[in-house]
Amino acid sequence: MDAYITKIKAISERLLKDGTVEAVIGFREGTLPTMSEPCFIKRSDDVKDLVWNANCRINLANYLTNRKEKIAIVAKGCDSRNIVNHIIENKIKRDQLFIIGVPCKGMNDKDTGALQDNCATCTHRNPVIYDELAGDLVEEQTGVDKYADVKKVEAMTTDEKWAFFNNLYASCTRCYACRNACPLCYCPTCFVDESKPQWVGKGEDPIDVRTYHFLRAYHCAGRCTDCGSCEAACPQNIKVRQLTKKLEKDCAELFGWEAGLTLDKRPPLDTFSIDDPNDFIK
Amino acid sequence: MMKIINIDKQKWAGGVESLSKSYRLFGPVKDVDCHNFKELKQGEQPDLSYGNTKLSPKSVVFPPSEAMFTYSLDESNPEHHILKDVPKDYSPRAVLGMRPCDAKAVSLVRMNFDTPEYRDPYWMDAYEATTFVGLACENPCASCFCTSTGCGPYNEEGLDVLLVDNGNAYIAKALTEKGEKLLASGGFTDAGDASAVDAKKAAAEAKITAKIETDKLSEKVIMDLYDAPFWHDVAFACINCCTCTYACPTCWCFDIQDENKGCEGVRMRNWDSCMTPLFTMHGSGHNPRDKKHQRVRQRFMHKLKYFVDKYQKGIMCVGCGRCVQQCPVNLDIRTVSKTMNDYVAKS
Amino acid sequence: MKNLMEHMGVEPGRLQFSWISSAEATKFVDVVKQVTEKVKELGPNEKFIKKTVKVA
Repeated sequence: MDAYITKIKAISERLLKDGTVEAVIGFREGTLPTMSEPCFIKRSDDVKDLVWNANCRINLANYLTNRKEKIAIVAKGCDSRNIVNHIIENKIKRDQLFIIGVPCKGMNDKDTGALQDNCATCTHRNPVIYDELAGDLVEEQTGVDKYADVKKVEAMTTDEKWAFFNNLYASCTRCYACRNACPLCYCPTCFVDESKPQWVGKGEDPIDVRTYHFLRAYHCAGRCTDCGSCEAACPQNIKVRQLTKKLEKDCAELFGWEAGLTLDKRPPLDTFSIDDPNDFIK
Repeated sequence: MMKIINIDKQKWAGGVESLSKSYRLFGPVKDVDCHNFKELKQGEQPDLSYGNTKLSPKSVVFPPSEAMFTYSLDESNPEHHILKDVPKDYSPRAVLGMRPCDAKAVSLVRMNFDTPEYRDPYWMDAYEATTFVGLACENPCASCFCTSTGCGPYNEEGLDVLLVDNGNAYIAKALTEKGEKLLASGGFTDAGDASAVDAKKAAAEAKITAKIETDKLSEKVIMDLYDAPFWHDVAFACINCCTCTYACPTCWCFDIQDENKGCEGVRMRNWDSCMTPLFTMHGSGHNPRDKKHQRVRQRFMHKLKYFVDKYQKGIMCVGCGRCVQQCPVNLDIRTVSKTMNDYVAKS
Repeated sequence: MKNLMEHMGVEPGRLQFSWISSAEATKFVDVVKQVTEKVKELGPNEKFIKKTVKVA
């Protein structure tokens, strides 16, 4: 990790000094032992604050949306895939960015210290797009079962499924940390915040809570990279990836699609192909 | 005269059982992986072994969603378009085992809901129905900083009873008449002795090493802090979720919503948060706080400056550390307070 | 959408999709009949429906 940090600092300093970028988005040390804080560095004197460790959970692509300046961004595998998404969705331009790729061996859960669930089954640890690397590429995991928990739910009866998600969201306070930590959730006004029409109630009614989670997940279909930012952000430790993972699995099975791997292909839900599966239409 | 009662731990569960006959009881219970305050079911005991609860017990008097009125829009109903009070259960209730920091928070929140001009009936009726039984904090978390907020692990403000864990027994200090009544109702009558408390209190306080710096906040000029250049840097990481404000025991903001089903409707209030753009959105579409740094600034200025100036009772923070622990991006009120406290405006 | 609805516990058959041209009157009638039958079989929706808002 120390070698990573030295490299990240050196690259950042060079880019800021020679004017390639106006700012660097990275992490600085947090005030708790298991936290790092996203930061925005504009002066080359401040690159000393940059760190890299297993607490850099939040997806930094989240901070790129609609920025106008030239920016360097520190990106692990999943962050880089969300940068690809951002470029495809016109939220940032490729030529505005200098991507400092960080090959990643996973982030740790802030409470237990164990490898995060999504990192344990990650198959894209290396950045898929970058201008310079902060370290040697790491070996990708193979033979992991990414969807063991989704399959468990799929095997349940309808009533069991309903009860499973009722329990899952029981402690949700609708703080929207999952939505706000998500790089995909950049709508100027989220559907839960709209009032004309009001799509969903705003209290803690379980149906409203479920509607929020269900629709938010659906908006991420074909876009989610399973970066785990949502789950890491949840103050109630809710396994909020359950629904997005199901969609990720469906996209892989129905369209052979994994989000954020290439700039050359449109995501399945914003294109039409004659081969699109349509068995569900009667 | 403050009464000291000795509660043998063997008798605690039976006492709670007796209390449940005359009070609705709320206490810390373990959810999946953390403790939270819930209404205790018949026969359920509060789990007093907890460190701190994820959410504060403010929900006992200030539920996240609360019905205020019901109404009908059906014009064939002679009482259509009339707001009707929702019947509420304000029979005596008690919170068992809350932390002194959360109790002090209740008394800070009361300053907002109970003023010479206005009395919030929902909050105040619930508050007045509640007896607050505290549990002194023996093992504060690493992120606790209550001793530098005018509070402390043995603080008594806002409590009716303070329990101190003394091995095989609780030393119970009845701090108010309400508290005495509760102890009597639980059958807790053995006279006790508080001589051990001072040493325990000092030991608990000594365990709290984290601090918040606030000493110079009151002398700062509001507009200097408001216009200070550091807010963009402070706010950069913030994702504008409501984690800090919902976890905070002193955050009291709410939003009023009408929900209709057909012609029948409920007017309710829900917790709201100054972190969201919607909080200040005007009907016109104009939003005076549409930028992130403005909202972050508002939260810290309210807690650490406006409140300080308005009430002269210190900061609107009791040092429970929840926002520090739970913030997804590690925005730390202690760091922000230090930045504000140290700030000298360039003339 | 259908997959996800069913994944979270909404009964299969509650959500149905169909593509019918304005010229396909008989297909329209058939689909309506089938949907009605299926939904009648399932009975009233007791799950994903908010009767009155749950508040304290």
